Amino acid sequence: MSLELINVYKSYPMISGRKVVLSGANGHISRGEKIGILGRNGSGKSTLVRMFAGVEAPTKGRIKCSMSISWPIGVSAGVKPTLTGEENARFIARLYGRNEKRTVEFVESFAELEEYLRMPIMTYSSGMRSRLSLSISLAVDFDCYLVDEALAVGDTRFGRAFAERIERSGLILVSHSPALVRRLCTRAAVLDQGNLTFYDDLDEALATYNAL
Amino acid sequence: MNLRAELAIIGRGARMQQRVIGALIIRELGGRFGRYYFGYVWLFIEPMLLGAAIGLLHYWRDRPTAFGPFEFFAIGYILFFVFRGILNRAPSAIPGNQALLYHRHVTLPDIFFARHIIECIACAGVLILMLFGLYVVDGSIPESPIKIAAAMALMALLSQGLAFLWASMSYAVDVAGRFLQAITFLILPIGGLFFLVEWLPVWAQEIMLWIPTVHIFELLRDGQFGSRFRAIYDLYYVAGWIVVTHLLGLAALRITRQRIGLE
Repeated sequence: MSLELINVYKSYPMISGRKVVLSGANGHISRGEKIGILGRNGSGKSTLVRMFAGVEAPTKGRIKCSMSISWPIGVSAGVKPTLTGEENARFIARLYGRNEKRTVEFVESFAELEEYLRMPIMTYSSGMRSRLSLSISLAVDFDCYLVDEALAVGDTRFGRAFAERIERSGLILVSHSPALVRRLCTRAAVLDQGNLTFYDDLDEALATYNAL
Repeated sequence: MNLRAELAIIGRGARMQQRVIGALIIRELGGRFGRYYFGYVWLFIEPMLLGAAIGLLHYWRDRPTAFGPFEFFAIGYILFFVFRGILNRAPSAIPGNQALLYHRHVTLPDIFFARHIIECIACAGVLILMLFGLYVVDGSIPESPIKIAAAMALMALLSQGLAFLWASMSYAVDVAGRFLQAITFLILPIGGLFFLVEWLPVWAQEIMLWIPTVHIFELLRDGQFGSRFRAIYDLYYVAGWIVVTHLLGLAALRITRQRIGLE
């Protein structure tokens, strides 16, 4: 089980000409691997995340995916503010064919929301929102978690529990922060000017990225 | 690949789509009315109130005809409400739900199916309630309930095909959505709610029968009191409209899907 990029080319139209995000990328990410993808602002990280998530198609080439990959963690992904945290958890459980009761129980024990779980999302602080959406995605249990940037969980109790849970599955972390990649990943790739280069050595990747 | 393997794949896909649509329906219900259970009641009350109001207006004003004005207009209005409800909500369907596309097995048509199923269940519920009410009040029973149900289904399908197209258009050009309110309002007098084709002069009949909803209203009235007038409709014409709008509409949604920039 893996995610494979075969000669992937991606561009999108701009006011003049096209912006090239990927020009012929190849790569292979196996199940259980923890890989960081580093890129400066505007290098096309978010587009890459959407392609990995399977919600945006490459312009040319193929992405072959034989493991379950989460939606990009960190985007709101259709959380409805008028619904409660519990109702949103149930919605995701139904969508992915998971047991609703177990999903809610997991979120209850993990998200540290207490009675807010039964309140509409619009009453939540931004920290509570991100804990809820992270917990829901962990409850679904994917082979690989796709995490976009602002994993603003930090070194809190929740942050440590999250890192520990991620330890048991794969991770694709798309970020511009070398420190975060070093903390959570064992391999890395650098995205720069349409080239996505995979490095087996984490230090080599970080050095290349820092030299950009 | 052999046939059995292919059927298994189709079966899995169908089960997944059923699951997705089910989840979307529950989400839509909870989200549309917020935390108040009165919202669920409103889903039924809105068409009932409007239908009954129009029915009563005509009941008091009209000269007595072969059919009761109340059942003519109130029941007819419920059918119009299916059309109006589905089309007026079409422009907001994509912008309001596009973040759901981050979940890879949610597709644009699924979002529409979920909303249309809600609309149909509400209107069918009101329709049954009103027919039952009429039976209690003056003992009238529709001549063919099957034709009424068919009219309801055809109206829903026609509206769905148009909704696909309209949603795609208003996603591409923002103002298209604004025109819609005006258009569903303008179609009210000529859509078939207020007349029978039989009542019109022949030249007007020919013009009106170009409008697909006119045929559907004729079918409805045929089901209500078909033996008391000459119903004029062509279901093949309606079916043609449904097929063409669905094909064009689904193609348009496919193009729209590629243009949606998820944040």
